[in-house]
Amino acid sequence: MTSRRLSRFLFASPWVLSFVIFWAFPLLYSLWMGFTDYRLLSRSGPEWVGFDNYVALFSDSDFLNSLKNTFIFVIGTIPVTTVIALALALLVNREFKGRGIFRSAYFLPWVTSMVVVALIFTNLFQRGGYIALLAQMVGLDVPTHGFLYDSSTALYSIMAMDVWMAVGYYMLIFLAGLKAIPDELYEAAEISGASSLRQFFTITLPLLRPVALFILVINSIKSFQVFVEIFVMTKGKFDTSTVVYFIYETGLQTQFKFGYASAAAYVLFVIIGLFSLLQFTVIRRRQPLW
Amino acid sequence: MVRSRSIVGSIVHYVVLVAILAVMVGPLVWMARVALLDKTATLSPDSLLSTAVTLQNFIDLFTQSGMARYMFNSLFVAVAVTVGNIIFCVMVGWVLARHRSWFTRLLFVSVVIVLMIPVHIVIIPLYLICLKGGIYDTYWALILPFLINPIGIFLARQYIETIPPSMEEAARVDGASEARILFTIVMPMAKPAIAVLGVLAFITNWNSFLFPFILTSSESMRTLPVALAMLQGHQAIDWQHLMAGSTLAVLPVLALFFIMQRQIVSGVTAGGIKQ
Repeated sequence: MTSRRLSRFLFASPWVLSFVIFWAFPLLYSLWMGFTDYRLLSRSGPEWVGFDNYVALFSDSDFLNSLKNTFIFVIGTIPVTTVIALALALLVNREFKGRGIFRSAYFLPWVTSMVVVALIFTNLFQRGGYIALLAQMVGLDVPTHGFLYDSSTALYSIMAMDVWMAVGYYMLIFLAGLKAIPDELYEAAEISGASSLRQFFTITLPLLRPVALFILVINSIKSFQVFVEIFVMTKGKFDTSTVVYFIYETGLQTQFKFGYASAAAYVLFVIIGLFSLLQFTVIRRRQPLW
Repeated sequence: MVRSRSIVGSIVHYVVLVAILAVMVGPLVWMARVALLDKTATLSPDSLLSTAVTLQNFIDLFTQSGMARYMFNSLFVAVAVTVGNIIFCVMVGWVLARHRSWFTRLLFVSVVIVLMIPVHIVIIPLYLICLKGGIYDTYWALILPFLINPIGIFLARQYIETIPPSMEEAARVDGASEARILFTIVMPMAKPAIAVLGVLAFITNWNSFLFPFILTSSESMRTLPVALAMLQGHQAIDWQHLMAGSTLAVLPVLALFFIMQRQIVSGVTAGGIKQ
């Protein structure tokens, strides 16, 4: 019996070790670093400075700008991604020939590497590239150096790419939610003569609320951390720097200000936590739609 | 009347479906087209219609750049992490599925917490841990932190809970050790869950950029996505070669996608958070 207990602890130990070394410790380590002046080349090692880093961050125009861009990114992409994902889910939810092919194709961008996607779109967004050509066809102005090398369009272009990449994934989650809605509800609505539009607003949408909440929360946690596409496509130039890009730039690229970068990471950490909490309370409290 | 309307309706439905398909797959088709284009050809939207095909760009990548090394690094890291995930996640998932105590409850809470922690918070500390631990810029830095992950544990636990423990108990009565039970009974039974968490681990790590990028510095340690991101912006590189490299990064994932689509879909819709 004791050997069984022992083996239980032994089998759980990989996770315990991984949790402590790679999650719990780093979380506390960066919390502490955020309160110190700690640079790679400082001789004296980390020096306790209290809230200095946090105070400095909120008067650092680079940080505030990256915060602004991060919010634009999150608030701009999430509603669009969610609505398109739902529309796609409804589109492929009915029975028809080739349904599986369309579902897979729509999901395909999600399993592709972000670096590859960013490279392809860097090409497409160029002047003379495919997207620029299509934009010209519908009468839009293409910036002289293409969409990515102009402050007025760069961030929005990257956002559009992110929507393209993510909709198929959230479509799958919506599909799982749609499958869980009992057919009897629609049959009953049919008998009582409710139009399909009315069925959508009184049955589908309210019952999808938990799924929508899940999607909003995981998508915002992910979107607040946008980095790879910024790194590959613009290197933070043309007003596209985001908070994680700022963390990379100040912490690891040239300046190696570990304390300052950790403080920035914690600001984002708190924002993500509050944002998730807000989404939970808003969606939970809302009155039923019918 | 009704019938003809439904035919028109389904035609419209297919037109919409196909238009979206073109948008979703188009960029990947463009990647492959450019990759197979001669490097002297000037890129223009018309290139899509060109029928000329050459593999020279791929050959160049292997003979004139470290492509073989980058691919090996990506493959080695992704396979090592996948094997680790399969063994360790099933191990821990089994403990969580079969026992209820303060210990397993605490474990489960820690798994859920890590599922929700935004990874950006560990970028700086993980970099310093690897630096001070002497594994920065080695394979260890790319493998050790990722050997076990909460989604895998979650998936394994969920699946094992659906299997009655009778086989394990019978083996225990026969005097089998716990390790023997894990490897000869639990692992084989958990194959469907292993397929899901394994393919997910492989794709995630094959595609991964952020951590391989910050935890290595030398060129010989670059994984394929890191190498591609670094190649971009170099004057010497053209789109044909960049897209050829991208195609090499996409092909293994595409193959897995066709073979194990069901597992991938069930994995990403169950575990959701990480990518």
